[in-house]
Amino acid sequence: MPNFTLNINNKDYSVEAESDMPLLWVLRDILDLTGTKYGCGVASCGACTVIMDGNAVFSCQRPVGACVNKKIITIEGLSEDGNHPVQKAWQKARVPQCGYCQPGQMMRAAAMLGKNKKPTDETISSEMSNHLCRCGTYHRIKEAIHIAIEEINK
Amino acid sequence: MVPGLQSLALPAIDCEFFQPSAYLKIDKKGKVTIYVGKQESGQGVDTALPMIVAEELEIDFKDVHTEIAPYGTLKEGEHDTGGSQSVMTMYTQLRNAGAIAKSMLITAAANVWKINASSCAADNGEVVNTNSNKRIKYGALVCQAALLPIPKEVTLKNPKDFKLIGKSTSRSNLNELLTGKTKYGIDIKVEGMVYAVAERCPVLDGVLVSVDDTAAKKVPGVIKVVSYKGTGAPMHVRAGVAVIATNIWSAMKAKKMLNITWDEGKKNKETTESLFKTFEERSRLKPQLEVFKKGDATKFSAKNEISASYSEPFLAHATMEPVNFIASVKGDSCELWGGLQLPDWAVNTVSKECGFKKENIKVNLALMGGAFGRRLHFEFAIEAVRIAQQTDKPVKLIWERTDDIRFQPYRPATYHVLKAGIDDNNNLAAWQHHVLGTPVAYMTDGPGAKDAAEMDGADAGFCYDVPNINTGYTGVDFNINRGWLRSVDICVNSFPVESFIDEVALKLKKDPLQFRLSMLENKPDFKTGDAPGAAIQSPARVAGVLKLAAEKIGWTEKRKPNHFIGLATHSFIFAKSYAAHAIEIELLGPKKFRITRVVAAIDCGLVINPDGMLNQMEGGFAFALTQTLKGEITVSDSRVVEDGFFSYELLRYDEMPPIEIYMVENKEEPGGVGEVGLPTVAPALCNALAAAGYRPRSLPIRKEGFTWV
Ligand code: FES
Ligand code: FES
Repeated sequence: MPNFTLNINNKDYSVEAESDMPLLWVLRDILDLTGTKYGCGVASCGACTVIMDGNAVFSCQRPVGACVNKKIITIEGLSEDGNHPVQKAWQKARVPQCGYCQPGQMMRAAAMLGKNKKPTDETISSEMSNHLCRCGTYHRIKEAIHIAIEEINK
Repeated sequence: MVPGLQSLALPAIDCEFFQPSAYLKIDKKGKVTIYVGKQESGQGVDTALPMIVAEELEIDFKDVHTEIAPYGTLKEGEHDTGGSQSVMTMYTQLRNAGAIAKSMLITAAANVWKINASSCAADNGEVVNTNSNKRIKYGALVCQAALLPIPKEVTLKNPKDFKLIGKSTSRSNLNELLTGKTKYGIDIKVEGMVYAVAERCPVLDGVLVSVDDTAAKKVPGVIKVVSYKGTGAPMHVRAGVAVIATNIWSAMKAKKMLNITWDEGKKNKETTESLFKTFEERSRLKPQLEVFKKGDATKFSAKNEISASYSEPFLAHATMEPVNFIASVKGDSCELWGGLQLPDWAVNTVSKECGFKKENIKVNLALMGGAFGRRLHFEFAIEAVRIAQQTDKPVKLIWERTDDIRFQPYRPATYHVLKAGIDDNNNLAAWQHHVLGTPVAYMTDGPGAKDAAEMDGADAGFCYDVPNINTGYTGVDFNINRGWLRSVDICVNSFPVESFIDEVALKLKKDPLQFRLSMLENKPDFKTGDAPGAAIQSPARVAGVLKLAAEKIGWTEKRKPNHFIGLATHSFIFAKSYAAHAIEIELLGPKKFRITRVVAAIDCGLVINPDGMLNQMEGGFAFALTQTLKGEITVSDSRVVEDGFFSYELLRYDEMPPIEIYMVENKEEPGGVGEVGLPTVAPALCNALAAAGYRPRSLPIRKEGFTWV
């Protein structure tokens, strides 16, 4: 089986996997980084979102073979101890219900704010609409993103 | 006075912890663990229930650790989670559990100080000697407390002294949820575990004829391909072929290469169109079951009769965490890992279907990434065990999203015929409601099951004061599985009831708010049956939430051009809570609208965690808006057509309007909040559209050509 070196959360990992295995399953099943979630496998829900070279990507759509020489950040590596402005904002707005979609939602928000500290409502809306939350926490996600924007622009 | 006061000699005893009941444990270091007996799936029981214990225990909530109560540590039925019942049913018991522990800790301290327990008080994790103001931490008392007899009676706090109950509190495991550390069922790993996905017979109750797995077996990582039989009631497991592999990706790839021949049986040609046609034809006959009768609405000779019919589709739960389950079989015993809302029933059924003695089935309950009733059903547990029976390793079975949407226990489809009789004084004097549905009970108990009527919200609890009422139900068999979905038949029946009340008001040229209130406000609370536990309906509380919602949205105020408001109210009767919605829309063109305001009003008695209640009302609104606008499962050739989120669409971020929630404050006992926020969403929105000139009579409204921005 082929071997790949992946840079995840600023650490190099060597993994053995079929080259078409999506990053999602490499993270979850080989590296036990289960904070990245499976929701659909077909780019329809956003649960699997990670940050790759600064962009939010669906890890279910990235074969491991295409992930070498990239800087990958997962929810486990978003911050040392949950103190990324997005996580703090999520905490303040008490966003999660079941919480299952939230790692993906937060990774998207973090990537968006990493590129643009003052996104317009239209940008926020089109970015966040890549994600589903069956528990319906959209109202609070909106609130949390605005808290985070305020925080990073202080 | 608390028993156990007899002065104990205090030997230098040692112990690890003090656990006076299954609900809590305090260790020597003072760590307090509260065990959550109800299954968490996002509804916040992992916070609300421990808050109740912590309130009586007098402990700061941030010092509390929570854990799932291990299966089997509670009485039969107590792990069961559904019907918005968790707080309601556990409230007193959990207060007692906290109070018992507190009283034993106080007694232990009193013994140390050799004073009367009445001179001691509990405060913030310590016992205080009220004479000397000396304090001992709970942790230092656990070994003495552990030796004391458990008091039979304790005094509970006066609710006016509550410090925690009624205060918005963050989820007990919020930090784990936000850092990716939370383990849901799908994240659990068991030593030596392998993975499986399955292809299931597309038609319910079909059987496997043959499978060619040559290509599938060649996929690297595949261990073996196994088949398993389906079951009948209660769970209707479909016959399946499973690929077992060292990793889930290999299993998924190999599944696509299976070449399977099924015998679909004879009921493989049904469609949703044919079902609704049957409903329509059958609706002209008398209902199969008379559900509630008062006076005789059928004999009432009306000056005017108004009638209308409504329809609602099958729906899928579509939890974000796809269905999954782990099973390990060793000889005559098995061990299970995963989320179950009704674990006792699951154990009984696995025992029966898979041939294990109940005492040889070990269950490890897991956190669920959403449930909404999906995990009241457990056909996946039977599947996992059947697959694990064919390998010597623990197996994690994952349902792909396509499986999840195609093979659900679906919320039943229904058709409703309503008739209103108007008397000479222009009053509503007769009400008939015939519900035709594909009942869940036909699946769980077999076709023709008794008590199949799914009429909550439209039966004896019908809240409006109408002199003549006839409601009835007709069950129609249909070959796809059905199950309970969040807000169940109350949601199903509120749409036609609250729409039709509105239609009648408009027809009679009466104000829809005043029309409703005139039939609610003077009607006293009533019992909905003779049984001792029969639910109480309170028309006054139904009116109360309606008035609040109407007031907050400015019902009587002048509206902007092209803005219209719809109202709806109800009681989520078996969870003792009430809610109404007032929704304002702006009409942008023919059948094209934007939701401009959403006001929800709730009366759920005492609220344990107000923030949790708000989260449920917000999320409940989004859930209900999904099914109002676009949620629909269709069937063709007895197969579900939708197969994922592209075809079974859920509400997204850009479609969520702002929502305001208001609460009726009172001293009533706590009611449930997980489901009460859904039933009035569809009728309130549809009533707003009707005010604008377009009355939707079937859900989702997209089917009727409505569009929204
Ligand atoms: S799992 Fe990747 S988008 Fe749904
Ligand atoms: S919080 Fe449950 S799916 Fe988003």
